[in-house]
Amino acid sequence: MKTTAATLLLALVLAGGTALPALAHKVVAGAYAAGDHIEGEIGFSDGTMAGNALVEVLAEDGSKLGETRTAQDGTFTFTPTRRAVLIFHADLGSGHVAEVRLEPSELPASLAAAGAGGSATAAAGPAATEAAAGGSETAAAALRVTDAQRAALAEAVRNEVRPLRREIIALKERNDMQSILGGLGYIAGLFGLWFFLSARRQGQKKAQG
Amino acid sequence: MHIVDGALSTPVLVAGAALAIAGVGYGLKKMPTEKIPAAGVLSAAFFVASLVHVPIGPSSVHLILNGLAGLVLGWAAVPALFVALLLQAVFFGFGGLTVLGVNTVNIALPAVAVYYLCRPGIVRASPRGAALWGAAGGALAIALTTLCVGLALALSGEEFIPAAKLVFLTHIPIMAIEALITGAAVYLARRVKPELFATFAAPAMGSLTP
Repeated sequence: MKTTAATLLLALVLAGGTALPALAHKVVAGAYAAGDHIEGEIGFSDGTMAGNALVEVLAEDGSKLGETRTAQDGTFTFTPTRRAVLIFHADLGSGHVAEVRLEPSELPASLAAAGAGGSATAAAGPAATEAAAGGSETAAAALRVTDAQRAALAEAVRNEVRPLRREIIALKERNDMQSILGGLGYIAGLFGLWFFLSARRQGQKKAQG
Repeated sequence: MHIVDGALSTPVLVAGAALAIAGVGYGLKKMPTEKIPAAGVLSAAFFVASLVHVPIGPSSVHLILNGLAGLVLGWAAVPALFVALLLQAVFFGFGGLTVLGVNTVNIALPAVAVYYLCRPGIVRASPRGAALWGAAGGALAIALTTLCVGLALALSGEEFIPAAKLVFLTHIPIMAIEALITGAAVYLARRVKPELFATFAAPAMGSLTP
């Protein structure tokens, strides 16, 4: 039996010799606030992006708030109108579904400011009003002067950080040697245990008979 | 090939889980003790095979090797593939835990079908003929798997023909590659270790079922 298993293993290793570098193939997606809108991207973990895919924007209860499409490079933008949980859902076919959930605290900060302007909706939680109260304390005039600068600064920072975000997403999806070896170890252990139990049961049967 | 969480409707998930449990139970019962190490090796091979990617146009597909597992293990392929799929879901996030049953059925059922269709040819034919039967089995298993995936998606509301067609077309290169690998593996096994297929033939199976 040992040689049989070894032969099998050898056959598989030979077959696997022709194999290409290991990469995962599943859907990865991310979304984050950028200015007054939300930017996101959808792609596969092997680096290809999902171009021209329909992205539905859903509320927490599943009702549809709107939709958008990804560009050729898999990025999409969406401008939320109220502060609530947003779920971005894209069906890429063949059972590939991407879903990203954004909590109210992750939505653009400008939404909170809009809430303080008088049009505060039911969805604007205590966090929003708190932020607005803090904002009114500061000198309003000074704030207005730096608004444009601040937006430009935020834009620059976002552009700097974007490659990092991508790298982090890619890093999260990488299958390192540890998990592969760990999985193989689990398989060896499980089948070893099963073999042991099966052999013991056989031995008991023989002893009885 | 792995359907992810959230793509299927609940009735399909429940039916898939029930079928998978029945299949795993039957496979465990049918498994002769001598076959367990081979099942472990093939389970490990399947576990790693999904990390081997073949780029196809804008996307890529990965090896599956369920045909080889079916040819060697028969019904025992169901628990072997189930364990590998479970660990893939936990370690790599392939598929997911709720769709585990459906994925097991999609991948293990074709393996069992190939066992019944191509196994007799492998046992009887010369090594060269066996390699051809093995190649046919490897390709057929993938074709059937794509049909199962298409069916699972169709039952959840997607149009069957376009859904199945897309999965089928993107997997044609994988069918060719799997045919090559399975054929080569069968040829090598028949040459070096002919009893691999002989020892696991029907008599050994019957002698151990209680």
